[in-house]
Amino acid sequence: MNGRKIMSQVFDRRRFLKTAAMAGAATGVYGLNAPRAWAQEPEKPKEIIIRAWGGSWVDSLKAGVSDGFTAKTGIAVRHDLTEDNEIQPKVWAAVDQGRVPPIHINWDTTVNATKSALRGVTEDLSGLSNLASTTDLAKPVGLDGYPIINTYGYVYVLAYRPSAFPDGQPKSWKALLDPKLKGRIALYNDGIGMHFPAQVAGGGKLEDIPGNMQPAWDFITQLKGQSPLLGEDPDFTTWFQKGEIDAACTISTNAREAKKNGIDIAWTVPEEGCKFDTDGLWIPKGLPANELHWAKEYINHALTVEAQQIWLDGLGLPGVVPGVKPPQDLVNDPSYPTKPEDFKNLIRVSAKIQTENQSEWFSKFKAIMQG
Amino acid sequence: MRQTPAAYPLTWRIMDGLEAFVAFAWPARLGAAIPWLMLAPALLLVGLLVIGLVQIGDVSFRTLDPSTYRMSENYTIANYQRAFTESLFATVATRSLLGALIVTVVTLVLAFPYTYLMVRTPNAMLRKLLLTALFLPFFIGQVVRAYGWLIILGNQGMVNEALGLVGVEPLRLLYNYPAVLFGLVQYMLPFAVLMLAPALSAIPEELEAAAESLGANWVRTFTHVVLPLARPGLVGAGLVVLTLSLTDFAMPAILGGGSQDFIANAIYDQFFRTSDQGLGSTLALLLVAAGSLLVGLVIALFGAGTLALSRVRR
Amino acid sequence: MPREQGRDVEAMRESRPVLVSVNDVSMAYNGAYAVRSASFDLERGRFLTILGPSGSGKTTLLRLIAGFGRATSGEIFINGQPVSAVPPHKRSIGMVFQRLALFPHLTAAENVAFPLKMRRHDATTIAGKVTRFLELVKLGGLGGRRIHELSGGQQQRVAIARALVFEPDLLLLDEPLAALDRKLREDMQLEFRRIQRELGVTTINVTHDQREALVMSDEVIVMDAGKIQQKARPAETYRNPRNAFVANFIGVTGFVEGTATSVSGGLVRMSHGNVELAGIMAGDAAPPRIGQSLVGAIRAEQVRIAADRRQLGGLDTIVTGEIAEAIFEGERIVYEVRVAALGGVILRVFDHDPAEHSQFEPGAHVSLGWNASDVRLYGMD
Repeated sequence: MNGRKIMSQVFDRRRFLKTAAMAGAATGVYGLNAPRAWAQEPEKPKEIIIRAWGGSWVDSLKAGVSDGFTAKTGIAVRHDLTEDNEIQPKVWAAVDQGRVPPIHINWDTTVNATKSALRGVTEDLSGLSNLASTTDLAKPVGLDGYPIINTYGYVYVLAYRPSAFPDGQPKSWKALLDPKLKGRIALYNDGIGMHFPAQVAGGGKLEDIPGNMQPAWDFITQLKGQSPLLGEDPDFTTWFQKGEIDAACTISTNAREAKKNGIDIAWTVPEEGCKFDTDGLWIPKGLPANELHWAKEYINHALTVEAQQIWLDGLGLPGVVPGVKPPQDLVNDPSYPTKPEDFKNLIRVSAKIQTENQSEWFSKFKAIMQG
Repeated sequence: MRQTPAAYPLTWRIMDGLEAFVAFAWPARLGAAIPWLMLAPALLLVGLLVIGLVQIGDVSFRTLDPSTYRMSENYTIANYQRAFTESLFATVATRSLLGALIVTVVTLVLAFPYTYLMVRTPNAMLRKLLLTALFLPFFIGQVVRAYGWLIILGNQGMVNEALGLVGVEPLRLLYNYPAVLFGLVQYMLPFAVLMLAPALSAIPEELEAAAESLGANWVRTFTHVVLPLARPGLVGAGLVVLTLSLTDFAMPAILGGGSQDFIANAIYDQFFRTSDQGLGSTLALLLVAAGSLLVGLVIALFGAGTLALSRVRR
Repeated sequence: MPREQGRDVEAMRESRPVLVSVNDVSMAYNGAYAVRSASFDLERGRFLTILGPSGSGKTTLLRLIAGFGRATSGEIFINGQPVSAVPPHKRSIGMVFQRLALFPHLTAAENVAFPLKMRRHDATTIAGKVTRFLELVKLGGLGGRRIHELSGGQQQRVAIARALVFEPDLLLLDEPLAALDRKLREDMQLEFRRIQRELGVTTINVTHDQREALVMSDEVIVMDAGKIQQKARPAETYRNPRNAFVANFIGVTGFVEGTATSVSGGLVRMSHGNVELAGIMAGDAAPPRIGQSLVGAIRAEQVRIAADRRQLGGLDTIVTGEIAEAIFEGERIVYEVRVAALGGVILRVFDHDPAEHSQFEPGAHVSLGWNASDVRLYGMD
């Protein structure tokens, strides 16, 4: 009895906070450029906490978004480098138990963020003023409203060491099956990025996803014969630099990072196409109203051209606000699509389908790779 | 009579003070509660562990609903069916069990002479050196050591560079099963030595001298006297190495190149990648069960070794 | 081994009476000598005891003979062969260790079988010999027991059986009886002696217990400070200690000091203040110079005690003293008597028949008497 009463009080409080925040949104508190709002702005927290990926990822976020936000608002930004998949259960538990979540904003893959959205632990971000000037890419596919805002896209390219491909750049993912490359290729350890091109390379059709993915599994089984290394983002950079691999299916950013460090690395979008996906920012439920307000302001700031320009220069990825210019080395690069025809060869599957099938795809991939 | 200060050490005075304080703070009639009071922290810890296990047990009977990413309300044995039928888990379980057994045997074989030399050498310098070499790795965590091996055994690492000097093409020393086992053995060696040392030093040197005087050369002294008498230590060390290896996460993750998962890695994946706490819990419980079964089997066959706690020790 | 050759070896053994020969052996640890220039021969079939206080080097010497450790200098011969380079397991030596060193993971019978197994005898031979030797040490029927299921005395018997079952040339005993209580120790001394005689095995025993040395041995070596002080038959060692150390270490002995005044025949006269004393130079020592300082050793059992000197008729040396301590030991009373005229020296006296007259109390004045022929004199250097 008591338990339920407490629960309902918590619920009431949270609903109240949410309503108050909505009211704030309605009165236009969000626009940083609206001077008349200043008088009503909620109390500023000392700092807000953004979960981020380490290395060059957090460096570019800090330079592009966080520093500008602090300059504008005076609120310090702390970057929490907990792994994305490890922060997730913590946030979920906090929301379930009515506690204040450990972070204000999660910088997350859209697929992972979608899981949190489906679970109902995300705040709705539809009211952000800068959303009006974003491209379609910012909107998560298959979800209502904006539980997540995508902030940039990226391509799982075929990165390769030109010296290992004397006949020129590989035209097809099947190039990875070259016996010379045995033990010299790398994939993500959950197979992400490889499934969809594999479906094509294995002779299947993209329309059959998720219904019939046998062609993809067949191709991945062939890849297993090549003894691929399986890793995560930083591993690819390291492996290219340390000479452990010659080719990989990875986000272009990781290959570009090795290239920046002086290693001769190139990347391409083979004829079967490449998976295109997005990352985004989202806010967990359960924050005090004022902190929620400033967390939203942070995301709103991340959607400005100035912030995107610096942040995404660092990552080498295309943003969601028109007017962001590609870094010089990526003009007309296949990993930096800007025009509609650039997207022709990129495969995009909705985050919803991905999350609904993630567990099964994961098991299938693992079963092949661990065998 | 004149008091001799040396006859009453400072530690006795401190203990007198403590006893006086205890007598004041905890009247004698509550004396019966003292053992329970001392047990309380342990009971609390075990209690929390049991609560955790019960929760894990509960979740293991629920499945993930991928449209809401919440666990099902109703109970089902679907996770257990998956765990026992999907080839992935059989592969990973076999790899972990086999790996743990190999690591245990190799570690014991390597730890034994090391420990024996450390315990028996009359050279104090050598003993200190062996002890230092033993404890040093404890200050370097498992993960750091694994990364150390990445540097040493990599394609451009020290070993391959040395091989290159004699004209050998770089070898893939990392990211395979032997690399994981190698890392585990290196990680477990100090544990095994520490567990073996008390057992070996408990064997009177006179027994070895006796065996020699009775006609045994060192090999037969070792096999007929030292080895049987060291069995409690070997069993104790073996159990520790076996359970630690069976449940290891970092070595397969770092040295396995992603394709050499152990059970712990599979559990991690379920909890943190697919967000499937149900299957993760199921795997975790099965690991606990398999580990307990294995330990039980070893104890049934060889006794509990130095881990056995009995009142009468001979 | 062919029969003829075996007989030759046997014949050679019979012809050579000396089994063990220790030749100028020294053992030093970090420059400190544990054994210094030890030499002795031991004949086949004899029981030798090396007697000495702890730290005298007796155990070191025994371990050198067993093959544990190598002498700093000198050589040990067994059967005429130098053995320095021979490891313990190749010397035909059975050893009973101080703490017995029985194998706790084996039964009594398995312990006894161990040396046979190490010599690769077949199972039938082993079974037969083990049974025979367990019976020899009166443990028939207890072979299946674990070591910790046996009493202290039974464990001793297992240890001796194990050391003898392979019929070694030499048996070494490293104070195995030291830890036993007195009654059991005395029983086991006789038991060891019985078994040794029965098998005729040459034996070297090490002990700090003078009684054990006298009871068990054919010969006794007394060691002190790493040196052999005397090697003699037990009675000879007791009656004619070669130096003051041996005299003091064996038996209950009083020492009186004096200055030589005359030498006539074997008898040496000396004086301590106003007291006239006499004695015989010990062993093969040369007669003293007149005026030389001497110390005389007199066994407690050679001294008689009486309330009045007239009761000590027939004794040639009589002094008076005061009872310092009277110790009742059951079969006898030991008096400690302070003799003021001899510089306050304490002399001990046994009274074996205390019931006959009333016991002296501390403080009582008494007379002590002995014969000069029972006093052994040593030069003081």
